[in-house]
Amino acid sequence: MARSEAAANTYLIRPNYKHKFKAGVAKECIREILRDQLSGVQYNPEEVPTLSRSLADSIKNKLKYVGFDRYKLIVQVVIGEQRGEGVKMAARCFWDADTDSYAQDIYMNDSLFCVAAAFGVYYY
Amino acid sequence: MDDFHSAEETAFVVDEVSSIVKESVEGVIGGNVYQHNRVNQWTSNVVEHCLSQLSKLGKPFKYIVTCIIMQKNGAGLQSASSCFWDNTTDGSCTVRWENKSMYCIISVFGLAI
Repeated sequence: MARSEAAANTYLIRPNYKHKFKAGVAKECIREILRDQLSGVQYNPEEVPTLSRSLADSIKNKLKYVGFDRYKLIVQVVIGEQRGEGVKMAARCFWDADTDSYAQDIYMNDSLFCVAAAFGVYYY
Repeated sequence: MDDFHSAEETAFVVDEVSSIVKESVEGVIGGNVYQHNRVNQWTSNVVEHCLSQLSKLGKPFKYIVTCIIMQKNGAGLQSASSCFWDNTTDGSCTVRWENKSMYCIISVFGLAI
Protein backbone atom coordinates (compact mmCIF):
# COMPACT_ATOMS: atom_id res chain seq x y z
CA MET A 1 0.00 0.00 0.00
CA ALA A 2 2.67 2.47 1.03
CA ARG A 3 4.85 1.52 -2.00
CA SER A 4 2.12 2.26 -4.54
CA GLU A 5 1.42 5.60 -2.90
CA ALA A 6 5.05 6.62 -3.05
CA ALA A 7 5.28 5.67 -6.75
CA ALA A 8 2.04 7.48 -7.65
CA ASN A 9 3.37 11.06 -7.88
CA THR A 10 6.39 10.79 -10.14
CA TYR A 11 4.89 11.65 -13.57
CA LEU A 12 5.79 15.24 -14.43
CA ILE A 13 3.20 17.33 -16.19
CA ARG A 14 5.32 20.47 -16.04
CA PRO A 15 9.06 20.63 -16.53
CA ASN A 16 11.28 21.59 -13.63
CA TYR A 17 12.53 25.17 -14.19
CA LYS A 18 16.00 23.78 -14.86
CA HIS A 19 14.69 21.62 -17.71
CA LYS A 20 12.63 24.22 -19.50
CA PHE A 21 13.30 25.06 -23.14
CA LYS A 22 15.93 27.75 -22.75
CA ALA A 23 15.64 30.34 -25.49
CA GLY A 24 19.13 31.72 -24.83
CA VAL A 25 20.85 28.37 -25.21
CA ALA A 26 18.84 27.50 -28.31
CA LYS A 27 19.63 30.88 -29.87
CA GLU A 28 23.34 30.31 -29.37
CA CYS A 29 23.15 26.88 -31.03
CA ILE A 30 21.31 28.35 -33.98
CA ARG A 31 23.75 31.25 -34.28
CA GLU A 32 26.81 28.97 -34.30
CA ILE A 33 25.38 26.69 -36.93
CA LEU A 34 24.30 29.52 -39.20
CA ARG A 35 27.69 31.24 -38.89
CA ASP A 36 29.60 28.05 -39.60
CA GLN A 37 27.59 26.88 -42.54
CA LEU A 38 26.73 30.14 -44.24
CA SER A 39 29.86 32.30 -44.05
CA GLY A 40 31.00 33.13 -47.52
CA VAL A 41 28.18 31.20 -49.17
CA GLN A 42 26.56 32.73 -52.24
CA TYR A 43 22.89 32.32 -53.06
CA ASN A 44 22.70 29.53 -55.62
CA PRO A 45 19.16 28.49 -56.60
CA GLU A 46 20.20 24.90 -57.21
CA GLU A 47 21.99 24.37 -53.93
CA VAL A 48 19.66 26.30 -51.68
CA PRO A 49 17.04 23.57 -51.20
CA THR A 50 19.60 21.06 -49.93
CA LEU A 51 21.38 23.75 -47.92
CA SER A 52 18.25 24.85 -46.10
CA ARG A 53 17.21 21.27 -45.39
CA SER A 54 20.63 20.40 -44.04
CA LEU A 55 20.65 23.52 -41.87
CA ALA A 56 17.27 22.62 -40.42
CA ASP A 57 18.45 19.08 -39.71
CA SER A 58 21.72 20.21 -38.12
CA ILE A 59 19.95 22.70 -35.88
CA LYS A 60 17.42 20.08 -34.84
CA ASN A 61 20.14 17.53 -34.11
CA LYS A 62 22.16 20.03 -32.11
CA LEU A 63 19.10 20.91 -30.03
CA LYS A 64 18.40 17.23 -29.45
CA TYR A 65 21.99 16.79 -28.36
CA VAL A 66 21.76 19.69 -25.92
CA GLY A 67 19.01 17.63 -24.35
CA PHE A 68 15.66 19.32 -23.81
CA ASP A 69 13.98 16.36 -22.24
CA ARG A 70 10.33 15.64 -23.23
CA TYR A 71 10.29 18.52 -25.66
CA LYS A 72 9.07 18.20 -29.23
CA LEU A 73 11.18 20.39 -31.51
CA ILE A 74 10.29 22.24 -34.69
CA VAL A 75 12.98 24.07 -36.61
CA GLN A 76 12.15 26.28 -39.57
CA VAL A 77 14.86 27.74 -41.80
CA VAL A 78 14.18 30.35 -44.48
CA ILE A 79 16.91 31.38 -46.92
CA GLY A 80 16.35 34.21 -49.36
CA GLU A 81 18.37 36.04 -51.96
CA GLN A 82 19.37 39.61 -51.15
CA ARG A 83 18.05 41.83 -53.88
CA GLY A 84 16.76 44.73 -51.93
CA GLU A 85 13.24 43.30 -51.72
CA GLY A 86 11.10 43.68 -48.64
CA VAL A 87 10.42 40.57 -46.57
CA LYS A 88 8.49 40.15 -43.34
CA MET A 89 8.17 36.98 -41.28
CA ALA A 90 5.78 36.58 -38.34
CA ALA A 91 4.80 33.67 -36.13
CA ARG A 92 2.05 33.10 -33.57
CA CYS A 93 1.63 30.08 -31.39
CA PHE A 94 -1.29 28.54 -29.59
CA TRP A 95 0.42 26.68 -26.75
CA ASP A 96 1.12 26.62 -23.07
CA ALA A 97 3.24 29.70 -22.43
CA ASP A 98 4.51 28.31 -19.17
CA THR A 99 6.22 25.28 -20.69
CA ASP A 100 6.75 26.10 -24.37
CA SER A 101 9.08 28.59 -25.97
CA TYR A 102 10.99 29.49 -29.10
CA ALA A 103 14.31 30.94 -30.24
CA GLN A 104 15.26 32.62 -33.49
CA ASP A 105 18.28 34.09 -35.19
CA ILE A 106 19.01 35.94 -38.43
CA TYR A 107 22.15 35.73 -40.51
CA MET A 108 22.88 38.05 -43.43
CA ASN A 109 25.68 38.37 -45.90
CA ASP A 110 25.94 40.16 -49.21
CA SER A 111 24.08 37.66 -51.31
CA LEU A 112 21.64 35.98 -48.96
CA PHE A 113 19.78 36.27 -45.70
CA CYS A 114 18.74 33.40 -43.48
CA VAL A 115 16.16 33.24 -40.69
CA ALA A 116 16.08 30.22 -38.42
CA ALA A 117 13.39 29.66 -35.78
CA ALA A 118 13.29 26.79 -33.31
CA PHE A 119 10.14 26.03 -31.30
CA GLY A 120 10.09 23.75 -28.26
CA VAL A 121 6.76 22.25 -27.20
CA TYR A 122 6.46 20.19 -24.03
CA TYR A 123 4.94 16.74 -24.35
CA TYR A 124 2.73 16.18 -21.31
CA MET B 1 -14.88 2.93 -27.74
CA ASP B 2 -13.67 6.18 -26.40
CA ASP B 3 -10.20 5.70 -27.87
CA PHE B 4 -11.45 5.04 -31.41
CA HIS B 5 -13.59 8.12 -31.37
CA SER B 6 -10.75 10.28 -30.21
CA ALA B 7 -8.30 8.85 -32.76
CA GLU B 8 -10.49 9.96 -35.66
CA GLU B 9 -11.22 13.40 -34.37
CA THR B 10 -7.77 14.22 -33.18
CA ALA B 11 -5.55 13.59 -36.17
CA PHE B 12 -3.95 16.55 -37.91
CA VAL B 13 -6.11 16.97 -41.03
CA VAL B 14 -4.01 18.71 -43.65
CA ASP B 15 -6.88 19.57 -46.02
CA GLU B 16 -8.97 21.23 -43.42
CA VAL B 17 -6.08 23.30 -42.14
CA SER B 18 -5.00 24.24 -45.63
CA SER B 19 -8.46 25.55 -46.53
CA ILE B 20 -8.61 27.56 -43.31
CA VAL B 21 -5.26 29.14 -44.13
CA LYS B 22 -6.22 29.96 -47.73
CA GLU B 23 -9.38 31.67 -46.60
CA SER B 24 -7.49 33.71 -44.00
CA VAL B 25 -4.90 34.95 -46.48
CA GLU B 26 -7.51 35.84 -49.09
CA GLY B 27 -9.46 37.71 -46.49
CA VAL B 28 -6.57 39.72 -45.12
CA ILE B 29 -4.36 40.56 -48.11
CA GLY B 30 -6.57 39.48 -51.04
CA GLY B 31 -6.33 42.32 -53.51
CA ASN B 32 -3.59 44.43 -51.96
CA VAL B 33 -0.33 45.65 -53.42
CA TYR B 34 2.88 45.23 -51.43
CA GLN B 35 3.32 48.23 -49.15
CA HIS B 36 6.26 48.28 -46.81
CA ASN B 37 4.49 50.17 -44.07
CA ARG B 38 1.55 47.80 -43.99
CA VAL B 39 3.38 44.49 -44.14
CA ASN B 40 3.80 44.33 -40.39
CA GLN B 41 0.11 44.58 -39.85
CA TRP B 42 -0.68 42.10 -42.61
CA THR B 43 1.57 39.36 -41.31
CA SER B 44 0.16 39.78 -37.80
CA ASN B 45 -3.40 39.72 -39.06
CA VAL B 46 -2.93 36.68 -41.26
CA VAL B 47 -1.30 34.74 -38.49
CA GLU B 48 -3.80 35.75 -35.83
CA HIS B 49 -6.74 35.01 -38.05
CA CYS B 50 -5.39 31.55 -38.92
CA LEU B 51 -4.71 30.80 -35.30
CA SER B 52 -8.14 31.84 -34.11
CA GLN B 53 -9.83 29.70 -36.79
CA LEU B 54 -7.63 26.75 -35.87
CA SER B 55 -8.36 27.04 -32.19
CA LYS B 56 -12.08 27.09 -33.00
CA LEU B 57 -11.72 23.56 -34.36
CA GLY B 58 -11.53 22.52 -30.73
CA LYS B 59 -8.97 19.76 -31.26
CA PRO B 60 -6.44 18.91 -28.56
CA PHE B 61 -3.55 20.45 -30.48
CA LYS B 62 -0.93 23.10 -29.90
CA TYR B 63 -0.39 25.16 -33.04
CA ILE B 64 2.52 27.14 -34.43
CA VAL B 65 1.73 29.33 -37.43
CA THR B 66 4.43 31.24 -39.32
CA CYS B 67 3.87 33.60 -42.22
CA ILE B 68 6.40 35.09 -44.64
CA ILE B 69 5.40 37.90 -46.97
CA MET B 70 7.87 38.79 -49.68
CA GLN B 71 7.75 41.46 -52.35
CA LYS B 72 8.00 40.19 -55.92
CA ASN B 73 11.39 41.30 -57.03
CA GLY B 74 12.86 38.39 -58.92
CA ALA B 75 14.65 37.16 -55.81
CA GLY B 76 14.51 33.55 -54.69
CA LEU B 77 13.29 32.27 -51.34
CA GLN B 78 13.55 28.80 -49.84
CA SER B 79 11.96 27.55 -46.64
CA ALA B 80 12.74 24.23 -44.95
CA SER B 81 11.74 22.73 -41.64
CA SER B 82 12.91 19.82 -39.58
CA CYS B 83 10.73 18.43 -36.81
CA PHE B 84 11.27 16.12 -33.90
CA TRP B 85 7.82 14.87 -32.97
CA ASP B 86 5.42 11.96 -33.08
CA ASN B 87 4.65 11.18 -36.71
CA THR B 88 1.41 9.42 -35.96
CA THR B 89 -0.28 12.34 -34.22
CA ASP B 90 1.51 15.52 -35.32
CA GLY B 91 1.61 17.17 -38.72
CA SER B 92 2.37 20.28 -40.70
CA CYS B 93 0.90 22.08 -43.65
CA THR B 94 2.47 24.77 -45.84
CA VAL B 95 0.43 26.99 -48.14
CA ARG B 96 1.94 29.19 -50.84
CA TRP B 97 -0.14 32.10 -52.02
CA GLU B 98 0.68 34.91 -54.42
CA ASN B 99 -0.75 37.88 -56.16
CA LYS B 100 0.77 40.36 -58.64
CA SER B 101 3.03 42.11 -56.17
CA MET B 102 3.88 39.68 -53.40
CA TYR B 103 4.32 36.10 -52.26
CA CYS B 104 3.00 34.72 -49.00
CA ILE B 105 4.13 31.43 -47.44
CA ILE B 106 2.25 30.18 -44.40
CA SER B 107 3.34 27.14 -42.42
CA VAL B 108 1.16 25.55 -39.77
CA PHE B 109 2.55 22.95 -37.37
CA GLY B 110 0.11 21.02 -35.18
CA LEU B 111 1.33 19.06 -32.19
CA ALA B 112 -0.94 16.72 -30.28
CA ILE B 113 -1.15 17.19 -26.58
